[in-house]
Amino acid sequence: MSRLRLPRPILAFPAIGWLLIFFVAPVLLVLWFSFGYKPGVFQTHANDKLSFDRYAEALNPTFFTTFWNTLWVGVAGTLLCLIIAFPVAYWMAAKIPSRYRGLLIALVMVPYWTNFLVRTIGWQIILAPHGWLSAALNWLGLIDGSLDILYTRSAVLLGVVYNYLPLMILPLYVAFDRVSQDMREASKDLGAGRIATLLRVTIPLAMPGIIVGTLLVYIPLMGDYITATVLGGAKGNMAGVLVASQFQTAQNWALGSAMAVLLILLILVSAALAGLIIWLLLLPFNRSRRLVIGVAK
Amino acid sequence: MTSSGAIAAPRKNRKPLNLVEAGLGVWGVIVFIFLFAPIVVIFIYSFNSGRLLTSWDGFGFQGYEAMIAKPAVTSSVWVSLRAGVLSSVLATLLGTLAGVAMARRPGKWVIWFSALLLFVAITPEIVDAVSLLPWLVFLGQDLGLGIFNDGIVRLVVGQSLFSTAVVTYIVRSRLVGLNENLEEASADLYASPTKTFWKITLPLAMPAVLAGALLSFTLGLDNTIVASFVQVSGTTPWPVYVLSAVRSGLRPDIASMSVVMLVLTLGAIGLVVVVLKKAGDSATQIARTLAG
Repeated sequence: MSRLRLPRPILAFPAIGWLLIFFVAPVLLVLWFSFGYKPGVFQTHANDKLSFDRYAEALNPTFFTTFWNTLWVGVAGTLLCLIIAFPVAYWMAAKIPSRYRGLLIALVMVPYWTNFLVRTIGWQIILAPHGWLSAALNWLGLIDGSLDILYTRSAVLLGVVYNYLPLMILPLYVAFDRVSQDMREASKDLGAGRIATLLRVTIPLAMPGIIVGTLLVYIPLMGDYITATVLGGAKGNMAGVLVASQFQTAQNWALGSAMAVLLILLILVSAALAGLIIWLLLLPFNRSRRLVIGVAK
Repeated sequence: MTSSGAIAAPRKNRKPLNLVEAGLGVWGVIVFIFLFAPIVVIFIYSFNSGRLLTSWDGFGFQGYEAMIAKPAVTSSVWVSLRAGVLSSVLATLLGTLAGVAMARRPGKWVIWFSALLLFVAITPEIVDAVSLLPWLVFLGQDLGLGIFNDGIVRLVVGQSLFSTAVVTYIVRSRLVGLNENLEEASADLYASPTKTFWKITLPLAMPAVLAGALLSFTLGLDNTIVASFVQVSGTTPWPVYVLSAVRSGLRPDIASMSVVMLVLTLGAIGLVVVVLKKAGDSATQIARTLAG
């Protein structure tokens, strides 16, 4: 009886409290710092005068270049992940005998569970100007001389596609796994070709997985710090590195906080915008499909 | 002739299909090679006998010897192990209780709590890092809570957030899949709620709790970004040591250490898979659990 009088989430209270203290409160503190300023060389922040000046200061040309760069790498990287992962996930879910699927999933997991930084250092070795890849490409006659990709935006793009690819393959695999063979065969029996089945049965049914995968890749990718640090050098800078440098080297917490807030806004706004655009583009298709169902009834 | 023609005819029909399948297979193999390329390279270069990691000199075990000989390396691994175990214990405790509450005491609060967990899980690590650093400094210095100046405590706090979300999610999905009959029977037989929790709910959730604990441990071992911000000099975990080596110059012992840590991580993950398989999960369910 006494059980009923206890608040229902009581067992979750420790976790809720912990996350409020060490997740919500710190983020709010950063928001608060972003309205402050850096009073002197040896102090990191002060909040006795509140203003939007740090945001104005943050929005300088270097910042815009870096943010544009981040957005470019974020969008291109996510699209590349989707394009690369889509056939692989489909292959794993639809073409591989089920007893080997577990093994392949485990193989996708190995890079995912290898330390992020270590994987990226692996690419630093591969992409070195006189490294293996350089030698191989020279031998094939594709390039002449050293490979000049390390410490450029292309190297960062390659690095992020590599680093976040498992996060795209796994949700897509789960989504395709749910679209059973029966569904595709039914579509075929009803006269749909391969492409029609793919576009009208498999992809719409796998859509939740595609959206999850895209967000799982896009959001952390936009905040990436490690890949850009290891492979980017000065030319391949991303917003995460810029924010970090304000906290670690410049010791300007006020400006760094404003940049962090702007980065979060950029991620949220761009993801929402992309969602809106895709929704608008698909609107005519959704309408026609509804119409067909209506007639059939 | 006729019989071979009869066999050839359906084959001809399937030919475009086979081409697509072959293409998918080739693409799959290429992507797997891509996924393993840097890991294989790190493994090979961990046997580089040269002074610099990136330029191959010859085969040797000098990297592994240097790794054991350098106190900075061994102590960073030791720091990571301690922080990993402690953050795993903490996250498992918080996450198990929260997961049980979500599965067995549903209500409007679950929506709000799920939203909070989602935010914790998807916030880019760099944002967690830059917000935790000022917060821990505020707690430790401005409020005078000395415990937050301790290196291990800071690492544990930083690692516990994401891990708590992961454990909560795993425990919740395990219990949601099992109906409440046993717990109701236990209550009908006059067991107190506490006794029911210990004797029925917790054993039912155990595979998920163990899997969550091991996953938290590996997440803790790998924590790089948050750790590099909140760490105190003297308690540097191994990924932060590697990150500082990226800036000052990479040596083969970095690769050797990475290989050792990878073997440790994969051992823990292998255990997770065994635990989940024993509990009757399919390969797809395991994949979903491990991918968070």
